[in-house]
Amino acid sequence: MRGQRTTVERLDRPSAYFNSNKHKKRRFDKDQRDGDDDRNRQQSEQQDEEEHLRTATTLYVGNLSFYTTEEQVYELFSKCGEIKRLVMGLDRFTKTPCGFCFVEYYTHQDALDSMKFIGGTKLDERIIRTDLDPGFEEGRQYGRGKSGGQVRDEYREDYDEGRGGLGRAIAGEKSRGRNYDDDDGRLR
Amino acid sequence: MADLDRRGGGGGGYNSKKRRYRDDNDDYGPRGGSRRRFDAPPHVRVRKQLIAIAENPMRPWHEECQAIANLFTDNWDDELLRSNFVDLVLQLSVEQPLKTPFLAAVVLIANADKPEVVDMLLAKLAGLVEKNIGEGEWRDVKLYLKLAACLQGCLSGDGVFPVLEELFNRAVDLQTASSEDTIGTEIVKIILLTIPYVMATGSPDEWTQKAADLMEKTEIIAAEPHALQALIEPYHPESGDENQQQTQSLMSMLQTQLQAEANSGWTLSCLPRPWEFPLKDVEQQSKVSNAPKHALPTIKIPQTVVAGSKPLFPEVYISVYSQQDVESVPPVTSVASSLIRDALLDSINILHFNRNVTARQLIDLDCYFAPRTFAPRATPFDRLREIEPPKSTWKPEDVAVDAVFSQLFLLPNPEQKLVYYHSVLTEACKLAPAAIAPSLGRAIRYLYRNAPRMDLELSYRFMDWFSHHLSNFGFTWKWTEWVDDLELNDIHPRKAFIIGAINKEIRLSFAKRIRDTLPEPYQVLIAPEKELDVPSFKFANDDAPFAGEGREIAALLKRKAPDEEIDTVIQRIQSQAIDREIDALVASTDVFVTSVLYVGSKSLSHVLAAIERTKDRLSDFGAASDAARTQIIEAVMAYWSIHPGVAICIIEKLLNYSILTPLTVINWALTVKAGKTLGHALALQEVYELVFNTVVKVTGRVRQVVVKVNSPDGMSDDETLALETKNMRALFVAIQDALTGWATGSKDEIIEASTGDGKSLTEKQVQRWGQRWLRVFKRRSAIEEAFLVEAGKEKERRAALAVETSEGQAQSGDVEVPDAPVDETANGNGAAAAATEGVAA
Repeated sequence: MRGQRTTVERLDRPSAYFNSNKHKKRRFDKDQRDGDDDRNRQQSEQQDEEEHLRTATTLYVGNLSFYTTEEQVYELFSKCGEIKRLVMGLDRFTKTPCGFCFVEYYTHQDALDSMKFIGGTKLDERIIRTDLDPGFEEGRQYGRGKSGGQVRDEYREDYDEGRGGLGRAIAGEKSRGRNYDDDDGRLR
Repeated sequence: MADLDRRGGGGGGYNSKKRRYRDDNDDYGPRGGSRRRFDAPPHVRVRKQLIAIAENPMRPWHEECQAIANLFTDNWDDELLRSNFVDLVLQLSVEQPLKTPFLAAVVLIANADKPEVVDMLLAKLAGLVEKNIGEGEWRDVKLYLKLAACLQGCLSGDGVFPVLEELFNRAVDLQTASSEDTIGTEIVKIILLTIPYVMATGSPDEWTQKAADLMEKTEIIAAEPHALQALIEPYHPESGDENQQQTQSLMSMLQTQLQAEANSGWTLSCLPRPWEFPLKDVEQQSKVSNAPKHALPTIKIPQTVVAGSKPLFPEVYISVYSQQDVESVPPVTSVASSLIRDALLDSINILHFNRNVTARQLIDLDCYFAPRTFAPRATPFDRLREIEPPKSTWKPEDVAVDAVFSQLFLLPNPEQKLVYYHSVLTEACKLAPAAIAPSLGRAIRYLYRNAPRMDLELSYRFMDWFSHHLSNFGFTWKWTEWVDDLELNDIHPRKAFIIGAINKEIRLSFAKRIRDTLPEPYQVLIAPEKELDVPSFKFANDDAPFAGEGREIAALLKRKAPDEEIDTVIQRIQSQAIDREIDALVASTDVFVTSVLYVGSKSLSHVLAAIERTKDRLSDFGAASDAARTQIIEAVMAYWSIHPGVAICIIEKLLNYSILTPLTVINWALTVKAGKTLGHALALQEVYELVFNTVVKVTGRVRQVVVKVNSPDGMSDDETLALETKNMRALFVAIQDALTGWATGSKDEIIEASTGDGKSLTEKQVQRWGQRWLRVFKRRSAIEEAFLVEAGKEKERRAALAVETSEGQAQSGDVEVPDAPVDETANGNGAAAAATEGVAA
């Protein structure tokens, strides 16, 4: 019965992120992706992506507060296994934390367990989001927003104290259909 | 007071698409079911409805089961539906086992119209039981047998009894062969847990004698306590503790409960009987009972059975709601305690891949057992007293929480990582805060009260869960109720718990935040320095010895100066140290390590980078002498004393670099640090964590090598294994030697400082800490030895099997795959061996 579709959804599956790069759907609900994965994706792409992530030991962790420290991330994520490497996401210009990081484990199983048991729980009193990642590469630690942080923090309309208050570019921009994904640091 | 709108929550894990047509014909039932948004094909609808079976408390079981059965039999010609149905029933019974009786009811009803479906199902079911017995996947064996037992009503002959009897014979063989056998015990457990489901199928009288015969036989095995049981007891009471309540082995408890149940005519009042129709449907009922009977295909059980992927240990029953004046969970005298617990634990451990669904099923647990088994949901504990018998006072939330805690406090280890059980409790608390939170509160109070008599490992699991749980709920706890315990000395287990828990909270958050959550009397427990991000550098103060040299090295490290420049300063420290008649290696190690830590103080990445750059020199220091190596740890722990989590992390990395050895860590913690503090360090959470993590690292390494040695691709490296095993044993010996001194009060430090008779309060407390530590690591050691023995057996078995297979094949000449492959890899080897022999011939 191996390989059969489970009767309940698995939480250790990669999100639709990789595919959504090519087929970006317009989203009107800007927080839709945080902590709640969007499952609309195409079968064939899903297979490609899973091939890629079958041995992944790295997680992308999103929705951190700018003030969350490496030590806090270690403390929480070590509950799923020893951490091999931790790379904090930084503002491209100020080199200060901008709300995401990469956690690399020694084993794929630890990364999966982290998806299942830690993704969607709180760190520093914020619900964090985890996603399997094919592995950190130099350069991906930097935010890709116009002003240096993550894109989602450019256009955020709500006031988020942990992430620098209002979006930095909110002033003129309110067009609907913009993609608010916190996709900085992620593969393109 | 059932939570009526909970379908809207949709089990958390279901996506919105699913939810849309999941309820297609029951949401609008009263109005004729005519408002379906679209007609999904029958196989899709049957799938949705089967998966969601019994989730809706408002829908009578017999109606729901009948509706699904009808939908299925009405579309019998749909070939896809036919095969999917059987597979899905089988899959659900091992994936969502709480639903098994309801699935069985659907099958029993369908049997009246299309008896063929039962034959299809039984054929596959028998094959799966056989396959899982062969692989030693005992839980799946149990769950498939549970389905078979629920189908007993449509089985001919003695139904599942012959299988149970055959299984029992194997158990006897195993138990006779070895008193340390755990597979036989597991088999007997499965038999005992299957019998009640047979007895609940309608006509218990028919099977009473069969059950009695079987139980008479199982008694001998069930009553026998297992050799390892003493080590896995959750409590470790002090000698002289009045509360010497012995936890009962699950097996003997189950045997007694079933005996009692048999004596009272197998009422089994907690089990659901969805195949029973209300009186007005007598016609339907007789249709189902008169439906054709089917023979359960023979299930072959191999002569030798194996342990499978999950290590087996004896089990004990634990409840955090014992000792209450009102029974909020089933008492250990009732078979309901075992049956409900067993069903919940299977669901919890199987559904690890979606904790939201696990939590949902726990909250909904009253949907899966007989009506009136529990008190209404969310009844406050105080109101249970007002419930008049014979109504139940069992609080569903308590039963659910109790089941999760039983895993959190399972020795040696639960099936999943501990953090999984944390996450289940977090989700349950999020789904039904008003119902779950008070139950957790009472559990916390029970555990806190019993902290002194708990096994130390479990005590720390409690602390770890407690701090992690609070971090998900704004760090709110009624600390005021423990205020009186602040008067206790710091090594009292309860005070140590408070201190440790607060420190753990700070590690997940930050000192100022945690300070704000604590009442005034607790404020002293958070030292003001804890609010500093970066510790102070002791060489910034000129009074410190070697202050100038320390600052100089830090400056050199910062500008990444060449090694020679640092060498000069180190030599200067060493010659000064010799003049002052102190250990030159220790002094220079301390200055250098402290400077590296200072340079890397900004974050863990910084310090790890600093260590990476200086690792050669650190290795040299570490290799210079035992004292110097110990000084490395001393310097790390001293520099990061305000944030011990960082220190532990750094030491872990130093172990990875082999700059430190595991023995150094043990020596520092249990001899140096414990010695300096007259044993009080044994009460510090960070010291335990350091030692425990180190041991886990070493034992994990041995296990890794074992897996490699046993792997089929010939990566055998017995030498590495022998070396790693030797190191591990040496480590355990060192730990036990050091701890025995503390446990018996014979450490030099204690004897020197003793006020005389060794009977002072703190001396006794320290001894008790020593004993508790000792028990943890004796167990760890025993578990690893047991693992090595099992691994050795497994290796022999594989080798024997490979030879057997190749011989058999060489003789017969054709490659025949056995019906029930006992072990794929071994068969692979055998086939390869046969192939080469064939070439030779």
